[in-house]
Amino acid sequence: MLFNSLDFFIFLPIVFVTYWLFFKKNLQLQNIFILIASYFFYAMWDWRFLFLIIASTTVDFFTGQLIHSSTSDSLRKRWLWISVIFNIGLLGFFKYYNFFIDSWIDFVNIFGYEMNSSWTLQIILPVGISFYTFQTMSYSLDIYYKRLAPTKDFISFATFVSFFPQLVAGPIERASNLLSQITTKRSFSYSQCKEGLKLIIWGLFKKVVIADAIAPIVDDIFANYTEYSASTLVLGVTLFSFQVYGDFSGYSDIAIGTSKLFGIELMSNFKFPNFSRNVAEYWQRWHVSLSTWFRHYVYIPLGGSRVSKLKSVRNIIIIFLVSGFWHGANWTFVIWGAIHALLYIPVFLMGRNRIYMNTVVAENSWFPSIKEILQILLTFSLITFSRVFFRSESITDALGFLKQIYSNFGFEIYEHPLGYRMIDYFVLLVLFVLYEYQIRRDERSPFKFKSKIVRFVAYTLIILAMLLFFDDNIDRSFIYFQF
Amino acid sequence: MKKLILKSALYFFMILISLELLVRVFHLGKDTPTRILDDHKVEKWLPNQQGFSVTGNRRQNFSEYHINNSGFNSYREFTPTKDKYEVALVGDSFIEGFHQNYYNSIGKKIETSIPGIEVYEYGYAGYDFADQLHLIYEYKEKFEVIDHVILGIKFSNDLTRGEYKVVTGRLALESPMNRLLKKSKLLVYCKSIGILDPPQRLLYRLKNILNPPAPSKTIDEQEKTRLQKEKEKKYLANFQSLVAKYGYDKNRFTLLLDSRITSDYFLSFLNKEGFRYIDFSSYFEKSKKSTTLIYDRHWNDNGRTLIAKSISDYIKSLDTME
Repeated sequence: MLFNSLDFFIFLPIVFVTYWLFFKKNLQLQNIFILIASYFFYAMWDWRFLFLIIASTTVDFFTGQLIHSSTSDSLRKRWLWISVIFNIGLLGFFKYYNFFIDSWIDFVNIFGYEMNSSWTLQIILPVGISFYTFQTMSYSLDIYYKRLAPTKDFISFATFVSFFPQLVAGPIERASNLLSQITTKRSFSYSQCKEGLKLIIWGLFKKVVIADAIAPIVDDIFANYTEYSASTLVLGVTLFSFQVYGDFSGYSDIAIGTSKLFGIELMSNFKFPNFSRNVAEYWQRWHVSLSTWFRHYVYIPLGGSRVSKLKSVRNIIIIFLVSGFWHGANWTFVIWGAIHALLYIPVFLMGRNRIYMNTVVAENSWFPSIKEILQILLTFSLITFSRVFFRSESITDALGFLKQIYSNFGFEIYEHPLGYRMIDYFVLLVLFVLYEYQIRRDERSPFKFKSKIVRFVAYTLIILAMLLFFDDNIDRSFIYFQF
Repeated sequence: MKKLILKSALYFFMILISLELLVRVFHLGKDTPTRILDDHKVEKWLPNQQGFSVTGNRRQNFSEYHINNSGFNSYREFTPTKDKYEVALVGDSFIEGFHQNYYNSIGKKIETSIPGIEVYEYGYAGYDFADQLHLIYEYKEKFEVIDHVILGIKFSNDLTRGEYKVVTGRLALESPMNRLLKKSKLLVYCKSIGILDPPQRLLYRLKNILNPPAPSKTIDEQEKTRLQKEKEKKYLANFQSLVAKYGYDKNRFTLLLDSRITSDYFLSFLNKEGFRYIDFSSYFEKSKKSTTLIYDRHWNDNGRTLIAKSISDYIKSLDTME
């Protein structure tokens, strides 16, 4: 069930009203109801894969308790390994099995041995597997590191793993934030629900208007890159930057907004990354839940930045490569991660990786300085360059795309593949960037206007934009579902 | 929760009103003319209406229409006489041309190409061959003085019946309920861009759950060919039956068709029996530019220009022969 589908807009009000009308006084019933709703939500995609979620839930529920109750360190470690191997095993089989087989065959073929690909399997990638396996693993890891005591309530834990607003594409929550809210009595809050609805509208706008409207252009340019000149290819990858941002941050906003309707606060996942002044700031603002996960469970256990510079650089390379690989079973994502590592390391070595941690661009003024504008443009350009690898089907395509920019350097007027006016999209993106700049201080309040009239006008225009750019014929699924 | 629901409902209602207003101000939704069934039991538009036809979101195609005194979209009135040189184009929405400004129609393009000629466009969305011949039959006096009559025909759509009957389904669009719904430009706009399709699909899905349709049979290629041949025979029989019932002047009447989507069986029949036709396929094949609109398969300005050219070339060739 997609957030931008009619099914969801029938499902959500029914679940919301039932939840607050019938179960508001009993936490246990609230959780049972949310769990059933979440399983139903997932089963609408493919009920068979529910068993994987249930298996992952069961394994981590019990390993968590066993880690906690074990007295010896070796035993604790053994139970932790069981949890990690099980979850990584699920992920490895469903997401990476064919990739490893194909890569092995390619490798062997280099040395002249001919192997056919009879070992590859027809595997469907279960939606959300990368997200919920990481979430359940974080639970076991937190217990292992003694940051968390395990819950004895299976229903609460199962609700934490499968909570439908964030089940299929995050934010990847840690038990210390989400599970603690699930085990605490929740009562209806008008202001929280209101904020939730606003985020849902804003997320839908980003998905329907920004991401979906641009998608056919990006698809056309990447599919036919050999026919276009540099200006069109640059346009294509720039628009992809906006598409992937609109798509994923839109999803996250809807997820956070939906959770608010049930009295649960999820962590922010996007904090206006397009206004980042260097790559380090970008990673503090882009897919925050994933980068936080890697920082807590990979980077810090490896020593983080408290070890020698050389080892820190090694740790940075590791987390970026792993992060790239997490996105998909393709070498393009690994290269994408490597590029980010290369972009991040100089910032780290210059000691500028934390300087923008708690500030936003033009912190105390209306307009950014010239320096800030240049920094933003440079960062955006570098990130956008890396997305050639993120978007391309293969490394050959990505290199071909870049070669075409170099070899066919020139300007041409691009025409929309379906004949639509391109100017509409440029105007739309300029307005979008200006609006995001206006609200850049608080990613959780997209309509923070004092005047009720201004707020009302903003809602109306947002919905009008959805009507203007709605296209029933395009694929409306979310990009990050494939990860 | 009551406060949230009430306030949401209030906002929803106010936003709907604002959107209705905005859709009207920017003229995003199309105007729909009123249809009638006249005294001859001919379905057409209520005479003397004017408005704008809009296709797609963001007004991708915006054009003015003008329903003349005869109930068809045209910049001129239809006043055929024996003295003038007239051509009638009879057909469906492609001839009707709501997707173009009425003063830049196929007829107008032909008139520009052949000075002194008057082109009458009897186009109406959904007209099939039965509608067309019935119209000519009922308005015999007018059509008898028109020099050439060109009938647009799509073999796969326009020969499904062998006798004219009023199409009640189309006229149901004029029911009081539909007329009321059409008053909301927002609703008209939403319908036109497909935003109301998902609810319709959902209803269809629910209907299928409650009342599962019989599983569709898989048909092999041989059976498919047999069914296709059967259909072609039936369509040809319908053509013959309509011609016999309402009359068809082979000297003045010409079919306008695309041979790429017309059965060879039908084409060989036309050739054998001396039914003249204009095949515009070669004009479209030669064109490097698109011939249809973005949002639907109706001809765009380029397509209409090519149609006008194919008709003009044909008329000129007839005049040379005569």
